[in-house]
Amino acid sequence: MTYQVSIFLENKLGRLEKVTAVLKEAGINIRSIHLNHTANGWGILNLVVSNPELAHQRLNESGMSAALREIAVVKMADKPGGLDELLQDVVKAGVNFTNAYGRVVNDGESAFFVIDIQDIPGAREKLVDVGLEIIADRQVYGN
Amino acid sequence: MYWEIELEKLERKNLEHLQVERLNKTLRQAGNSPCYGRIPEISRFIKSGMTSIEQIRELPFTTKEDLRRDFPWGFLATDKKDVVRLHSSSGTTGNPVAVYHNRHDLDSWANLMARSLFAAGVRETDVFQNICGYGLFTGGLGFQYGVEKLGCLSIPAGAGNSPRQIKLMRDFGTTVAHAIPSYLGRLFDVFREEGLDPRQDTQLHTLVIGAEPHTEEHRQRIEEMFGVKAYNSFGLSEMNGPGVAFECTEQNGLHVWEDAYVLEIIDPVTLQPVADGDVGELVMTTLDRQAMPIIRYRTRDLTRILPGQCPCGRTHRRIDRISGRSDDMFIIKGCNVFPMQIEGVLMKLPEVGDDYRITLETIGDQDEMIVEVEVKKEWFRGDLAFLDKLQRHITHLIRDEVLVRPRIKLVEPGSIPKAEGKAVRVHDHRQKG
Repeated sequence: MTYQVSIFLENKLGRLEKVTAVLKEAGINIRSIHLNHTANGWGILNLVVSNPELAHQRLNESGMSAALREIAVVKMADKPGGLDELLQDVVKAGVNFTNAYGRVVNDGESAFFVIDIQDIPGAREKLVDVGLEIIADRQVYGN
Repeated sequence: MYWEIELEKLERKNLEHLQVERLNKTLRQAGNSPCYGRIPEISRFIKSGMTSIEQIRELPFTTKEDLRRDFPWGFLATDKKDVVRLHSSSGTTGNPVAVYHNRHDLDSWANLMARSLFAAGVRETDVFQNICGYGLFTGGLGFQYGVEKLGCLSIPAGAGNSPRQIKLMRDFGTTVAHAIPSYLGRLFDVFREEGLDPRQDTQLHTLVIGAEPHTEEHRQRIEEMFGVKAYNSFGLSEMNGPGVAFECTEQNGLHVWEDAYVLEIIDPVTLQPVADGDVGELVMTTLDRQAMPIIRYRTRDLTRILPGQCPCGRTHRRIDRISGRSDDMFIIKGCNVFPMQIEGVLMKLPEVGDDYRITLETIGDQDEMIVEVEVKKEWFRGDLAFLDKLQRHITHLIRDEVLVRPRIKLVEPGSIPKAEGKAVRVHDHRQKG
């Protein structure tokens, strides 16, 4: 199982830096960052990090609201149409997600597509069944 | 110029004599109610009779808490079969306050209302549009009966739906309208959106504004926008509703109709009367109500008596516009809100932390109530949809409780200062005018 850390953030100067300061202190590497902002003055920060369990613990200890959410990290080609090909398979798998973001790994070769599957029962199996390559934790976390 | 010249210009000596006579009658009537019937001072004065109006200070105060505690019938001073209407305050937490009227009371109220409007220059030739919620709120029916008594063509338009309000004004040639001041800014915007200028495209000459505190500057802005005279109206449901105190065409203070009310201003801490001209809490006693007389009611509204005689010739004293509240109640969009009501809603939700903060702000032309709420860490699951739903849920619950739609701001846990002792929960940053 692969996890991201999701953190509640008010839209105020210095709030994001508070998170990165905690992670720096804990020696945690940020692999991917994605910020969701709402019109209501708050948002959710999604982070793929080198040690999600530790990040979750340290962020909560420093008073922030953080949660671990299961993700599926899918490999795609880093070329025009790469995401489209991947999404055709995701549609085939019948996985309807509401939160996802991408990250280039090796320029011109491959990229990662991160899908939040916490609330989608059986998503990982469905993605595997249609032949998508799910990236192993080691590679996602960069350990 | 006057609706009832002999009463409105009654010499002070005679006015006070009339007050004593009516106060004695009121005490005898109040003694019929279970609550006032058991107050020894009232029984004593029913026997001996009051001889001067100052003796009213020997009677105990009545508070909103008293009216709530003995809800619904404790202050009813007449047979229930004679009651023809009730009005009631908002709120679903605890008991509301209900005020009862018999036929005489409604007629007396309508007459005070007509007298008030007449003093502000409204005449039977006017077309009067009442832009105000009808129902338990007194601003709807209170104005309606007064306007009919005065003889205007009344348009009971109700609240909201600005395009329709504008159409009514234009179709029927409305000359006078009544609304809460914060609504009029919005109505003006809709006029502009429709390419209309209320100064050119309506026949309005007078607006009556009340039910929420506003400044002289706010009034002047409204007068400028609509090209009218705007008059301040004061009332509270415990004292009937609108028609308790009203500005005359001098626009300098609100005449309290002293043949119908005893007016006192007290220091809210020592409970002693303050000198004329000093700010204190307004205390009022009904003098012409039969179904439910109320004696020495602490309104919690802060104001002062304006010393001196009004050039209009009326002998009834004037109070200044309301400058605040002696408790923590605030009024927004014409609704009375107690922070405790909001706290009551929030504390029922397990997802919500103990600390919250209410901020009142003027955004554009509108006053808004912002409620900052902490979401407990243990409820945070990291998804947007849950928080979004929670935010909407809280908005609806508070709206249902206080009748005003709040802006809910979810904030990080620990970001609201902890409540210590008498925490100030409400921060009022509204533009004064």
